[in-house]
Amino acid sequence: MSELSAQLPAAKPKLQLARFRDLALVPAILVLLVVGFIVSPIFLTAGNLLDVVQQQTELGLVVLAEALILIAGRIDLSLESTVGFAPALAVALIVPASSHGLGVGLPEWTAIPLCLLIGALIGLVNGALILKLRLSGFVVTLGMLITIRGVQLGATGGQNLFDLPASVSYLGSATWLGLPASVWITGLLFAVGIVVLGFFRQGRALYAIGGNSDAARAAGIRVDRVVWTVLVLGGVLAALAGLLMAGRLGSVAAAQGQNMIFTTFAAAVIGGVSLNGGKGTLFGALCGVLMLGLVQNILTLAHVSPFWYGAINGGIILVALMLSRLTTGKAQD
Amino acid sequence: MKRSILTVAVCVALAGALAACNRGTDAATGGGAGPVGIDLPRADSDFWNSYAKYVPQQAKDLGINLMPPTNSQNNVNTLVSNVQTLTNQGAKAVVMAPQDTGAITTTLDRLNQKKIPVITVDTRPDKGGAYMVVRADNKAYGEKACKYLGEQLKGKGKVVEFEGDLSSINGRDRSQAFGDCMKQNYPGITVFAEPTNWEGGKASAALQTDLTANPDINGIYMQAGGVFLAPTLQLLKSTNHLFPAGDPRHITIISNDGIPQEFEAIKQGQIDATVSQPADLYAKWALYYAKAAVEGKSFKPGATDHGSTIVDVGSGQLEDQLPAPLVTKDNVGDSSLWGNQIGK
Repeated sequence: MSELSAQLPAAKPKLQLARFRDLALVPAILVLLVVGFIVSPIFLTAGNLLDVVQQQTELGLVVLAEALILIAGRIDLSLESTVGFAPALAVALIVPASSHGLGVGLPEWTAIPLCLLIGALIGLVNGALILKLRLSGFVVTLGMLITIRGVQLGATGGQNLFDLPASVSYLGSATWLGLPASVWITGLLFAVGIVVLGFFRQGRALYAIGGNSDAARAAGIRVDRVVWTVLVLGGVLAALAGLLMAGRLGSVAAAQGQNMIFTTFAAAVIGGVSLNGGKGTLFGALCGVLMLGLVQNILTLAHVSPFWYGAINGGIILVALMLSRLTTGKAQD
Repeated sequence: MKRSILTVAVCVALAGALAACNRGTDAATGGGAGPVGIDLPRADSDFWNSYAKYVPQQAKDLGINLMPPTNSQNNVNTLVSNVQTLTNQGAKAVVMAPQDTGAITTTLDRLNQKKIPVITVDTRPDKGGAYMVVRADNKAYGEKACKYLGEQLKGKGKVVEFEGDLSSINGRDRSQAFGDCMKQNYPGITVFAEPTNWEGGKASAALQTDLTANPDINGIYMQAGGVFLAPTLQLLKSTNHLFPAGDPRHITIISNDGIPQEFEAIKQGQIDATVSQPADLYAKWALYYAKAAVEGKSFKPGATDHGSTIVDVGSGQLEDQLPAPLVTKDNVGDSSLWGNQIGK
C-alpha cells in the first residue's frame, strides 16, 4: 500500500497523511455500520450485506470505468446511456419482432459478446472524436449520451424488453460458490484494476497522463493510444454493467441507466478520485460505491418517510464526507 | 467574398425554412374540427406508447383535424416549448399530460389568455385552469389495491408498497389513498412504503432489503406495472419467493397499469390483480373534449353517458373521472380491456 501511495503526486510535504488517502472513507463506513446496527438488527447479517454488495455491482462497474477515465484526465458522461443502450440493442437484435425486437434474429449466444462489442464501439467513437478531431470530451460524451439514449428509444419504440436471452438473465441472477455471479465479476475486475494501476507500467501511465499529459508524452508514453484504450475499456465496462442490470431486473427498461452518471460521479469523487485527473485510487472509488449502498440500505431498513428520503440521503453523504475529511485531514479535490 | 456568399446561402436556407413553416400552418387548418394539438408525455413507457397509438385512431373516428403529436420526453421545459410551437402553428385546443403538475401553471395561464382551451390527460394541474381533466380516479387505484390486499391477506401481514414519484399528483394520490385506507381498515397490516421515482432498480433494491429483514412479507402493491413488474418477478425468482397463487408461501401482488405483461403474469398466477388504467379511454375522451371545446360546448358536474362522473374538484376545475376496472384471474380474458386489444 505504501509503495503505491508514495508514487502519487504529493503536493504537500505531509506525505504520511497522503498515504491514507484511499482509506479516507473507512472511518465513515465504520460509523455507518454502527448506525445501521442500531437501526435494525438485520443490518449486520451476511445476507443483508451481501444484498447491498449485489445491488451496487452495476454502479460499481460504471464507477470503475469512470474512475479509470478520470484518473487519465478525461471525462465520459455517455457511460450511463451505454448501460441501457448496449444490452437493449444486443437483445433487440436477438429477440423476435413480436417481443419488440428488430426482427434480425441473431443466435442467442451472441448476446453477451454483442453487448460488450457495442460498448467498445461507443468508446471507440468517443475516442475518435476527442483524440482525432480534438473536440471537447465533455461535450462529445454529452452529445453521445443524448444520441444513444435516443437511438435506444427509437430502435425499441420505447418498449421495455421483457424476453431476455437465457445468457443475459443468467449473468445477473446466477450464484457461483455461494455468491452472486455479479459480485464475483465486479470484485475480480476491481482487483485486476487495483493491481494494474498500482504496479504495472500501463496502469501507472494513467496517473502520468492525468497529472500532466505533455510531460507524459515527453517521457515516452503514447498518450493518445493509452487514453483511447481507456475510453474503449470504459464503454465495455458500462456495457457489462448494463448486462448485469438487465439480468438482475429481468428486463431492459427503456430508461435503464438514466441519471446513473450523477451517482457515478458522486461515488468516484467521495472515494477520492479527482475530477482534474491524475489523483485517486480504485480502492477509494470502491469504498465510495459501498458507502452509497450502505446509506441506501440503512434508509430502507429504517423506513424513513418517502417525502424526506432524498433530504436524509444527501445529508448523510455530506456528513460522511466531513467525517472522512476530519479523520484524514486531507483536502479533497 | 467567400464569406458573403456563405451569408447569402444561409439567408436563403433560412428563408426557405420559414416559408416551409408557414406552409405548415396553412396545411393544419384543413378539414375537421380543430386543428387540435397534442403533446405526448414520454416515449419510454408501455402505457403511454399504447395511448399514443390510440390517439390518431380516435381522432379519425371523431372527425378531428389532429396536428402531428409532439413528445415532451417527461420534461416540463420541453412540454412548455412544444405547446408554444403547437399554438404558433395554429392549434385551437391543446391536449397534454403534464407529469409535473405544478410547473405547468404559467403555460396554462398563457393559453387561457389566448383563449386556447387545454385538456389534460392523466394528471390534474395543481392550480386548475384546464377546460377539462380526463383521468382515472387515482385515489380509487390506491383504495382498490388496499381493499384487495386487505381481503386477500385477511387483515394481517406485511406489505411492501412501491410508491411512484411523489412530486406527481398520481404518485401522491395513490400513495395517500393506499396508506389512509390501510390505516383505517386494516390496522393489522404493516406497510413498508418505498420511494422509487418510478425506477425499477430502486424498487428491486428496496424489496430485496425488505425481504431479508422481514421474510414473512406477504403482499406487494406496485403503483406501475410497466416499470416494476419485471424487476419484482425477477427478484422473487432469484430469492426463492416466487410461488404460484394458492401456495401458502405465495406473496399476494397487486399492480396498477393493465399492460399485456401483467395480464400474462396474472394468468400464470405470479401476480394476483391489476387496476387497468384505460389508455384507450384516455385518448378517446381527451379528444372528445378537445372537439367540444373547439365547438364552444360547456359541461357541468354530474354523471356522464359513458359510465363516468364529472366532478368539480375545486374553483370550477372540472374533471371527468373515468372508471378503472380491477382485473383478476376471473376477468383477465375480457376483450374490452385495452391490454388485451393491443397484443404483446
